[in-house]
Amino acid sequence: MSTCLEVRVSGVGFWAPRLPDWQTACAVLAGRAEPEAVARSRPAPALLAPTERRRAPDTVSIALEAASRACEAAGVDPVSLPSVFACTHGDGAINDYLCGTLASNPLLCSPTRFHNSVHNAAAGYWTIGTGCVKPSTALTAGSETFAAGLLEAIVQALADETPVLYVAYDAAMPGPVGEVSPSAGMIASALVVEPLKGDGPGVRPAGVGRCLRARVAPGAQAMPEASVSPGSIPHAWFAALPANSMRQCLPLLAFLASDAEGRMQMQLNQGCVLEVDIEEVTTHG
Amino acid sequence: MKPLAVTAYTTTTAVGQGNAALIGALMAERSGLRPNDFTQHPLETFIGRVADVEAVRLPSHLAPWDCRNNRLALLGLESDGFIAAVEAARRRYGADRIALVIGTSTSSIGATEEAYARLTPEGHFPDDLCRPEVHTPHSLGVFLARALDLRGPCVTVSTACSSSAKVFAQAERLLRLGIADAAIVGGVDTLCGSVLFGFNSLELVSKEPCRPFDPTRNGISLGEAAGFALLEREGVADSDAWLIGHGESSDAHHMSSPHPEGLGAELALRDALARAQRAPAAVDYINLHGTGSQKNDEVEGALIARVFPVSPATSATTHAAPAHAAPAHPAPAHAAPALAASSTKGFTGHTLGAAGIVEAVICLLAMKHGFRPGTLNARSIDPDCGPHVRLHGEHAPVRVAVNESFGFGGNNCVLVFADRAAP
Amino acid sequence: MPAREGIYSMSQVQSVAEHEMAELIVTSLNLEGVDPASIEPEAPLFGTGLGLDSIDALELALEISKRYGVQLRSDDEDNRQIFASLRSLATYVHTHRPA
Repeated sequence: MSTCLEVRVSGVGFWAPRLPDWQTACAVLAGRAEPEAVARSRPAPALLAPTERRRAPDTVSIALEAASRACEAAGVDPVSLPSVFACTHGDGAINDYLCGTLASNPLLCSPTRFHNSVHNAAAGYWTIGTGCVKPSTALTAGSETFAAGLLEAIVQALADETPVLYVAYDAAMPGPVGEVSPSAGMIASALVVEPLKGDGPGVRPAGVGRCLRARVAPGAQAMPEASVSPGSIPHAWFAALPANSMRQCLPLLAFLASDAEGRMQMQLNQGCVLEVDIEEVTTHG
Repeated sequence: MKPLAVTAYTTTTAVGQGNAALIGALMAERSGLRPNDFTQHPLETFIGRVADVEAVRLPSHLAPWDCRNNRLALLGLESDGFIAAVEAARRRYGADRIALVIGTSTSSIGATEEAYARLTPEGHFPDDLCRPEVHTPHSLGVFLARALDLRGPCVTVSTACSSSAKVFAQAERLLRLGIADAAIVGGVDTLCGSVLFGFNSLELVSKEPCRPFDPTRNGISLGEAAGFALLEREGVADSDAWLIGHGESSDAHHMSSPHPEGLGAELALRDALARAQRAPAAVDYINLHGTGSQKNDEVEGALIARVFPVSPATSATTHAAPAHAAPAHPAPAHAAPALAASSTKGFTGHTLGAAGIVEAVICLLAMKHGFRPGTLNARSIDPDCGPHVRLHGEHAPVRVAVNESFGFGGNNCVLVFADRAAP
Repeated sequence: MPAREGIYSMSQVQSVAEHEMAELIVTSLNLEGVDPASIEPEAPLFGTGLGLDSIDALELALEISKRYGVQLRSDDEDNRQIFASLRSLATYVHTHRPA
C-alpha cells in the first residue's frame, strides 16, 4: 500500500440543473429542502469576457460555475491555483456536431466548435477568464475519471505544496454516440484541496475544512462496469440528478455534505482503488 | 527535483517503426510526410501517416477496443524491447505499483467519425461499432492497461498538443510521493477527420509539407504517432537517459493563439530549468514545438532568443547552411558547439497529443547518438525566429536537451533531459 | 423593416442586405444582447466596435459560404478591406454571389 496523502478540502462547488449550488445540494441531502422543481438551463460563465462567454459550450459553462463557487468558498484567488479538470467524455454535443458534419460535408466544420472540442477547453477558458498562468491539466479515466482526477489534484497539492483546484464535470452525450456512450444532463463539482498543515478547522460551512486521507491500494481485480453504482448515491440526490457520467463524484460529495466521517473506495484501474478516509481536520502537535 | 531514469523508450512515426527508423531519418534528412491520402473528401495537404496501421490485428481479448488509435498504440509498443522492459518492471515492482499516464488529443474519435459515416437508415451506429470502449477518450488508457496488464493508477491526459509532455510531469509527481515505483508514460494520436478538417477550418493547415521557422512558412502538416517511455527512480535503475526537469504553465490568453510574447511558454521553460538545476547555457539541444504556423514559430523563436545566450559559435553556424549541403554536417572541431534548436515536425508532421513523447524521444536519441537534428523542409530560417534555430542536423555531443510542447487552451509543458543524473 | 428615416444620414442606415448580414453575424457568432439593427454600417467589426477576433472572421466566412456560396479566405489580400465593416462585407458578398 502506498503513501497516505492528506489534504484539507477548503472549498466545494457544485452545479446540476435542479441542485444549482452546493448549499442547495447539502440542504436537499439533509432533508431540509426539496430539489428545485424546474431544471435550470446552464449557468452563464460570468467570469469570461464577452468574446469567450459567447463561445463557451455547456461543459465549459458548468465547469467554470462550480470552479468559481469552490474558490469563493475556500476564500482563495483563482489566480493562485493550479487546476485539474476531469471529464469523462469531453463535450458530447461538439463531438456529435463534428462527427455529423464530417460525415456530410467536412469542409463545413465550424472553427469555433473545433477549437472548443479539445478536452482541455474548460481548463483553457478558466485560465483565460481568471488570468491564471499556473499549470492546468485535463484528464479522463472513463468511469474512474473522478477518482483519477482527485488523485492528481491531491498529488499536485502535496508535491508542490500548494492549494489546487479540482473540477469534475460531464454534460449530455446527444445524438447517435449518446446511444452507445450515454450521459444525460449536466453535473459539475469542484473542490479546493490544500496540504494539511496542522491548523484547526475553525468556523466553516458544511463540507469545508474536512480532511481527506487517501491511499492507492490494490483492489477489486475485475474492472466493474462503473466504479459507482446507483445504490451508493444518496436517495435524496439520486432522483434530483440526471443519469450523468459525473455521478461518479456523488459518494464523496455526500460525505462532505453530511459531515459524516468514514471510508470509501473508488476504482482507479483494474485491480487498484483509491481509498479515502473522510475525517474532521484535527490540530497536529 | 530528483531525476528519474528513462530506462526504456520507443516511438513509431511516419518515418517508420521504432527508434532506429527515427534517428536514421533525422540523420538522412528524410521526411515521412506525403500528400494526403487519408481523407475520403479531398483535402490538399501533406500528412505524416504511419504505414500499415490498418494491418495491425488486436488479440481477441482486446477486440472491443479495436480502432485505428489503439492499433497504432499496439504497433508502437512492439519496438525497442519496450514490452520486455515493462514485463521486467512488472516482475520487479508488481503490476499495481506501475502507473500508466498516457496522453492523447483525440484518442479513438476516428471510430466515432466512422460510425457517423455509416449510420443505419434509422440513424443508429452500425452493429460493429456499437462498442462503448472506443467512443470515449479514455479508450487509449484502458486499452494500454489491458494490453500491458498494468494494475496501478491509469489515466489519460488530454491537453491538446502538450498532452504527452505533461504525462512526464504527472508521473514524476506520482513517483516522488511514492504512489508508484515506476511509470509508463507516452502518447498516441492518429489521423482523423476531426483534426484534419478542424485545423483546416482554422486555416492552419499548409497545402505543402510544413516548413517550420522558414520566412515563408504557411501552416502545419498533421501526423500520427505512438511513443512510450518507462520511468524509474534514481538509485534503483541506472541509465544514460534522465528526466531532470519539467515545467508547466497556462497562457491565460486565447484558446487557439499563443500569447504574443510567449509569457506562458517562458514560465514553463524557466520552471523546467529551475527544477533541473541547470542554467540556460548548459543546454545543448532544444526540440522546439515549431509547428510551422506563422504565430507559434515567431513567438517561440523570440522566446528562445530571449532565454538562451548567444555564443560566437551560434552566429557562425546558424544561417550559413549551403544550399546543397550534405546532411549532417560535422561540428567544427575547434569550438564547443553552441546551442542548437530545431523543429522536427517536417519529419513526422505535427502529431498533436503524441508530439510530446515523440519529441522527448528525439531528445533522448540526440543524447544517445550525439546528433542534433535540423529543421527539415525549411529553406532558410526566419531571422525573426532568433539565432539558435538550425536548418541542418549535425553530429555533436548532447548532454542536456530540452523539449517544448504548447497546446490549444494556452497549455504549455517543457521537459529537460540529461545523459546523467548529477549536474 | 431595417431602413429607418429620420435624423440619420443614409450612410448610417442599414440597407436590407446589410441588415440580413447583421442578423447572420449576430446569430452565427452568438453575440449576446446585440440587436442586429444596432450595428452601424460603417463601424469597424473587428478589434474595437463589435470586438470580433480572427476566429470570428473564420466562423463568419464559413457561414457566408454556406448561406451565399461566396468563399472568403483570410489569406485573401483584400480581406482586411472586405471585413472592415458591415457595409463593406455586405457589399462584397452581394457583388460576388453566384448568379
